Amino acid sequence: MDIQIIGQMVVSGALMGLVYALIAYGFQLTYSTSRSLNFGQGELVMVSAFVALSCTRLGLPYGLMVPVALAFGALAGLAVERAAVRLALQQKSEGWIMLTIIVGLFLYSASENIWGRDDRPFPTPISSDPLHFLGIDVTPLELSVALGALGVMGLIELFKRATLLGKAVEAVSADPDAAELVGISATRAVMLSYALSGMVAALAGVLVSPITTVGPTMGAALVLKAFSVAVVAGLDSGFGVVLVGMFLGALESLASFYLGSGWREAPGLVLLILALAVRPHGVFGRAAIRKV
Amino acid sequence: MPRPSLRPLLLGLLVLPLCAGDTVKIALTGPFSGGSAPMGVSMRDGAKLAIAELNAAGGIQVGPRKLPIEVVERDDEAKNERGALIAQELSAMDDLAGVIGSVNTGVVLAGDRHFQEKGITKIITPAAGSQSMTQWSEAKVKDLSIFRFAAHDGIQSSMVVAEAVRRGLFKVALLHDSTNYGVSGRDDLLRQIQAQGGKLKVVATEKFNIGDKDMTAQLLRAKSAGAQAILIWGIGPELAAAANGLGKLGMKIPLIGGWTLAMSNFIDNAGKNGNGTLMPQTFIEEPINPRVAAFLASFRKAYNVTRMPSPVSAAQGYDAVLIFAAAVRQAQSTDTRKIKEALEDLKEPVRGVIATWQHPFSRWDPANEQSHEAFRAEQAVMGMVMDGKVVFANPADRARLAKAGMGR
Repeated sequence: MDIQIIGQMVVSGALMGLVYALIAYGFQLTYSTSRSLNFGQGELVMVSAFVALSCTRLGLPYGLMVPVALAFGALAGLAVERAAVRLALQQKSEGWIMLTIIVGLFLYSASENIWGRDDRPFPTPISSDPLHFLGIDVTPLELSVALGALGVMGLIELFKRATLLGKAVEAVSADPDAAELVGISATRAVMLSYALSGMVAALAGVLVSPITTVGPTMGAALVLKAFSVAVVAGLDSGFGVVLVGMFLGALESLASFYLGSGWREAPGLVLLILALAVRPHGVFGRAAIRKV
Repeated sequence: MPRPSLRPLLLGLLVLPLCAGDTVKIALTGPFSGGSAPMGVSMRDGAKLAIAELNAAGGIQVGPRKLPIEVVERDDEAKNERGALIAQELSAMDDLAGVIGSVNTGVVLAGDRHFQEKGITKIITPAAGSQSMTQWSEAKVKDLSIFRFAAHDGIQSSMVVAEAVRRGLFKVALLHDSTNYGVSGRDDLLRQIQAQGGKLKVVATEKFNIGDKDMTAQLLRAKSAGAQAILIWGIGPELAAAANGLGKLGMKIPLIGGWTLAMSNFIDNAGKNGNGTLMPQTFIEEPINPRVAAFLASFRKAYNVTRMPSPVSAAQGYDAVLIFAAAVRQAQSTDTRKIKEALEDLKEPVRGVIATWQHPFSRWDPANEQSHEAFRAEQAVMGMVMDGKVVFANPADRARLAKAGMGR
């Protein structure tokens, strides 16, 4: 019985952790090319989920709604890059920090006015009746989150490694100046990374909404965890976020079970402090070696 | 959500003032936007329906004339500070006959002292937190102008405990949110378990925060302790997360808790996982007798809805206006103090949709706040969520209420 409960806590936690990992991956995508992050990433998750919900209300089937939401996310990512990041980067300033926060706040108030302040259910064709594996209950809905998250991360990594465009993005990540010298537009690579990051946020929104419901505050709760995951894993670690995300999710579940529900967030924060103290580049990060 | 309709507007026109001094001026307050809005809006709409019906008959007979009712509406947004400001504003109006409303206990605590200071008569509905009335008995005030028309948490927790005992669910887990409402609900439950002979064994006590979506840990602790039922105190969205968690873990044990389990945002977000959930209600949206059937039909027609966002709030708002109007008629005055005197000794029975109210309030007794509480346990029933609606949990209650509502 006890083993089963631990198993249940670890599995449920790790599956939720994959959502943190997916959003953290969105942070990594833009950080690697431009050394900048969208602090309004959580609001992108939320707005995309609302757009997806509106599509469903308009009668779009699930299979069609997902691509529409992803396209919306990509466009929103591009808009963030143009409005809040590009000028700051050109001026080598840190203005993008404030600007992305402002864009996030704007999206938050806009969606409160458009969609209201209530949490709303998100319809999905995927069943939430539990399946039993070795005494552990898992719902197909949770499995869909895991498959979707791992799937899209795999595809983007494949794209970065196997296509010319992807390699260009990688080149800009490695050294933007050198990449410019061989004729790669760093600006375009950054735009592409923001579009992909927005798309990843939209997917996270579509995947997690049937479990958590959709509401204006849904992004804030997720994004803080995702940020810890990105930092603990290292902002340039690729698949590291998957392991750290699952680990953090499982740890949270176990903590709230054994220490009490009030202590749920504590181990994640301790982990963050420890990681920053011991490995400031992240557990899976590479320390940048600059040859002079 | 209901589509906007012209009908509420037209109803509004019916209740417009003729000219000052020739009307009975009643203020309706509550959260008409935000998370508590289902309760606030339903209360307001129920009250305005009663007012429109009274006005359609010419108004309330005071002396030789019939005075129509004039409405003042204020949205407190469920915010304590807004509630205090509105109470100050309203208590400065010298022609106000009285106030009906308030959903949130915090708003009541912040605002009502202004009404009490100026002696403005207020009927609280549907806020249920015990403190709204006990604050006055604790302060030992001699004379009180505040009345309550809602099944307070004391009644509700006693019903919840009794229901668990009746169903033979002796091992229970307590789940509550970390707000004042949740914590005082937990204390009420523990007190009631004691009071009812300690038949229930509390095997786990767990809390959760506003905004929590994952209750796996709390529910698994309840499961591993062998709980046969979960007694829960919180509001809509988190209650839904608990119901969905039970569904996910395949735990087939009932959720029993406060009337918030009938909020539309619980019912909608929990979906089929909400089925079988039990909670005290003062009104069930079922046409159990001609009086209720007529009320449901005119409410749906006036506001163009198929389901009331919060049936309890709508019915309580409606009946509260009828009781207030009866007090005006008895006082033969629009003076708020005379209306208070009349409310404390209402002679004529009031035929409402929840019950026929015989002498609902009595003279304020600082030692017993029940003197200004209208509801007793017999006016409440257990409701059960079934396929997106709240129905009677016990068929016997249906028959009992159908008869009670018919009057004599």
